[in-house]
Amino acid sequence: MRVQLGSRSGVVVVLAAACLAVAGSARAQSVVEVDTSHTIFYEAPTKTHMFVYSPSADVQASPWAWLDVRGGWEADVVSGASVATKAGPAYASNHADVVSTASVHDLRNLARGEIDLKGDVTSLTAGYAYGIEHDYRSNSLHVNARTDAFQHNTTFELAYARNFDSVCDRVQSANAILPSQWTALEDSTGCFTKAAGRTTHDIGIDTYEASWGQAWTPVIETQLTYTAQLVDGFQSDPYRSVILGEGLKAQEHIPNERAREAVTARIAWYLRSIKGAVRLSLRGYHDTWAIDSGTAELELEKSLGESFRVMLRGRLYKQAGAVFWSDDYTGGVPPLGPRGQYFTGDRELSPFWSWLAGVRAVWTINPAAHQRLLGFMQSFKLAGSANMQGFSYDEYTLGGAPVSNAIAYVATVSLALGF
Amino acid sequence: MDRLPVFLFALSLLGCATVAPQQRAILADPTMQFDAEAKHDAAFRHALENREGSMGGTGVSGGGCGCN
Repeated sequence: MRVQLGSRSGVVVVLAAACLAVAGSARAQSVVEVDTSHTIFYEAPTKTHMFVYSPSADVQASPWAWLDVRGGWEADVVSGASVATKAGPAYASNHADVVSTASVHDLRNLARGEIDLKGDVTSLTAGYAYGIEHDYRSNSLHVNARTDAFQHNTTFELAYARNFDSVCDRVQSANAILPSQWTALEDSTGCFTKAAGRTTHDIGIDTYEASWGQAWTPVIETQLTYTAQLVDGFQSDPYRSVILGEGLKAQEHIPNERAREAVTARIAWYLRSIKGAVRLSLRGYHDTWAIDSGTAELELEKSLGESFRVMLRGRLYKQAGAVFWSDDYTGGVPPLGPRGQYFTGDRELSPFWSWLAGVRAVWTINPAAHQRLLGFMQSFKLAGSANMQGFSYDEYTLGGAPVSNAIAYVATVSLALGF
Repeated sequence: MDRLPVFLFALSLLGCATVAPQQRAILADPTMQFDAEAKHDAAFRHALENREGSMGGTGVSGGGCGCN
């Protein structure tokens, strides 16, 4: 439960810069693109449900051929419930209904700006994003360099991002020396103010990515991507408690450091017989919390006429649990039982697998040069997608009750216009 | 492991100029782009990352928690 609100200065600066760029580019009669998207997420697993509405709006201006300027905003409007206190079957067998839920009403706002310098075969991108929640602040910088080689058959790309984030927490009692004595944050009241009883923890995130794209034949291309991420700081959910023993409930406590890396291999193959392409993506992931995962994603996209495309998507995902994850830290037969100094109730750190099926349709109209749609638009794109994802948790329970109906639905509609 | 970048770079050279410019029409088709609808799919990818313990392969930009 990470709530967001706060200063609007970042949003104002980014939008003002975007508007200036738009105004300037309009005088130069260059391209301006405006797009908006709206996403709904809904999930109702056992004892909880979650609804998230995510709108976004972006403006891009290209005052010169070598420069793109972008500004945008996005938000998450969240309502639902989350597991506030996690207990497992060994403890729950002697206690009635030990799993408690808390209502969640959150708002995340994020403003972003980006410039893109483009050459014939290279581009350099730099951007900044500022995110605000009731209990979380995020400052994110990213840079990206890309170049084509060998008659555009080969593409190399390097990217780096740095997050300077902070999360709200409660001030623990002076007598609470051990993490097992810490109490969870009850709500976000007073966060990021000078209110007594509130403090903040820093989180630094460094993300590195390198990719190589290659066209092998007129109908086959591949991409290989390596991603590494170093996270340093408070990564627990400050609101979540874990039952550790008889009369012992403590705030979730997980390591401050996490090193993550992933390798993703993708191939796109155009099938002339169906006038469409098959895209396969395989990803392997490992981190220092001993989470290993594999992802396989298959997409089939076909053009229907000049302006319409439809895509089917299937995805399988499986992960091992974090080394310190347990469904019940109070005891029981392995894999239940305590796992050293750390304890968490996060189901995303438990072993599970998931499946996903989805469909996406895109309608694009690009009129001939020097012509305008309805007299004023250079381009039009309307897209819609719907995805359904199911989760099967190997060990995660809510006080011994399996989470049996974890089905998530994600639907998006987006519109992009060029002027 | 240290030689992996050198190996990958050498491998990339094998693919130099494999497709002539006049043969690139299909490669430029939107169906052949890995991230042709990256903006449209951004919220969907964000939801996936928050329901799984993994990340990677979809770019580095982003900000905020949005961990619900």
